[in-house]
Amino acid sequence: MICPRCAHDTIETVTASPVPGVWDVLQCHRCLYMWRTTEPERRTRRAAYPPEFRLTQSDIDTAHETPAIPPLLTH
Amino acid sequence: MAYDDLRSFLETLDKQGQLLHIGEELSPEPDLAAAANAAGRIGDGAPALYFDNVRGFTDARIAMNVHGSWRNHALALGLPAATSVKDQVEEFARRWDAFPVAPERREDAPWRGNSLTGTDVDLFAVLPLFRLNDGDGGFYLDKAAVVSRDPEDPDNFGKQNVGTYRIQVIGRDRLAFQPVPMHDVAQHLRKAEERDEDLPIAITLGNDPVMSIVAGMPMAYDRSEYEMAGALRGAPAPIATAPHTGFDVPWGSEVVIEGVIEGRKRQLEGPFGEFTGHYSGGRRMPVIRVERISYRDDPVFESLYLGMPWTEVDYLVGPNTCVPLLKQLRAEFPEVRAVNAMYTHGLAVIISTAKRYGGFAKAVGLRALTTPHGLGYVSQVIVVDEDVDPFDLPQVMWAMSAKVNPADDVVVIPNLSVVELAPAASPAGITSKMLTDATTPVAPDNRGNFSTPAKDLPETEEWVGRLKSLLAAR
Repeated sequence: MICPRCAHDTIETVTASPVPGVWDVLQCHRCLYMWRTTEPERRTRRAAYPPEFRLTQSDIDTAHETPAIPPLLTH
Repeated sequence: MAYDDLRSFLETLDKQGQLLHIGEELSPEPDLAAAANAAGRIGDGAPALYFDNVRGFTDARIAMNVHGSWRNHALALGLPAATSVKDQVEEFARRWDAFPVAPERREDAPWRGNSLTGTDVDLFAVLPLFRLNDGDGGFYLDKAAVVSRDPEDPDNFGKQNVGTYRIQVIGRDRLAFQPVPMHDVAQHLRKAEERDEDLPIAITLGNDPVMSIVAGMPMAYDRSEYEMAGALRGAPAPIATAPHTGFDVPWGSEVVIEGVIEGRKRQLEGPFGEFTGHYSGGRRMPVIRVERISYRDDPVFESLYLGMPWTEVDYLVGPNTCVPLLKQLRAEFPEVRAVNAMYTHGLAVIISTAKRYGGFAKAVGLRALTTPHGLGYVSQVIVVDEDVDPFDLPQVMWAMSAKVNPADDVVVIPNLSVVELAPAASPAGITSKMLTDATTPVAPDNRGNFSTPAKDLPETEEWVGRLKSLLAAR
């Protein structure tokens, strides 16, 4: 299995349905995308994931920081 | 009627026919969000939605669209459901003057009944989380009242902030958090991070309906949201001490999540479909470590769908954005009659004012840009005469079409501040702002041909009554 959003291959199971076997919630280790296995394919399968929401390693590396971390006070 | 918690308000909505219980089994996605999205597409009287049969969950209780119509907004303020928008805003403004009303401390909060701490903390064990929009990076808490304190002045009750911010669940005990720089919690975080400290935080979910309104309200930094809630409710707001942070939180919350924003740390967040009708995100934002969750028996999870306006958020933050701007403008310019700031949390604002002299209306419009809320919003201002109702958009369009000479009456100021979420900003956080003076020029501004306006006939008001009586008697 790969992440639908960034295609990373390390996926963690975050939780499982209280009714056993109905669904799992999964999360990508790299981009933190989280999804439920019963969601529509446009949210769960790489091939169907909308191009405008896909992320690359470069997108993640260059993501803008907000709010900016301020300088430490000097004592 | 003041509601002390979400549950008692849901009971009233049910009795008034303004709550729809959907008991058939449905999928967490896409059904929950699609139903709430649809509630915003069926007209002004849309009900709140209540779901308790969601596939895979054993005891999920989910409330959505609680403030999502003018009828529900009126009931939240204890007004008759049919109260007009303009009357709701005027009553809101009238009650504002009772500020501050001291809160009432009640330490028997029902959320003291259950808690998870340490390694037992698991947001998924308490909350039936689900996704709202296709491109959202995960599951969000988007209707919480979030409490934080000023690290330089932690005992100052007024500077203790209660606000609503978008919060993404990124783990069983981890949240990503968006403090917009113009908002109070961002000031608290900056002060903590300058000292290399974490910022303690309490996130309260499922609150009484006025608490949700004040949490989304642009208030001065040192004014207490609890004291404003008391004014709007007409009764002191009940509060209790959160066990882990010691912060003051609503007595009636369904769930209280406590922890810290980890100082000087950022992690990928979003995207999230926002109140602007556009996604924002893919940015590195602060992270919360959850250390304690307290919750009522059988907690109700309240969430809010937002996307292309209008949705619940537009009702929730419509009047509460109009009134602070009205009060701040009127404090200096008593000529201001009404403010309609209901469009995208006040990115566009319509102000009705009388004029002292030529040029005055432009001064009022420019002042709106420099109010505290204006620094992050108010990128377009339309100023209309005192006899134009800013909530009556056909009247506003008449003023725009008949009173405006664009070369003289449209002013564009480049490179002012705006929330980063504003889609038209360039770069993010910077935008030009436009003032349109659609008032009638007065001396010594003698432009145009406005000396003979056609007014309603003196007898018209009487005839309005006669026509209504004749129609009613048919």
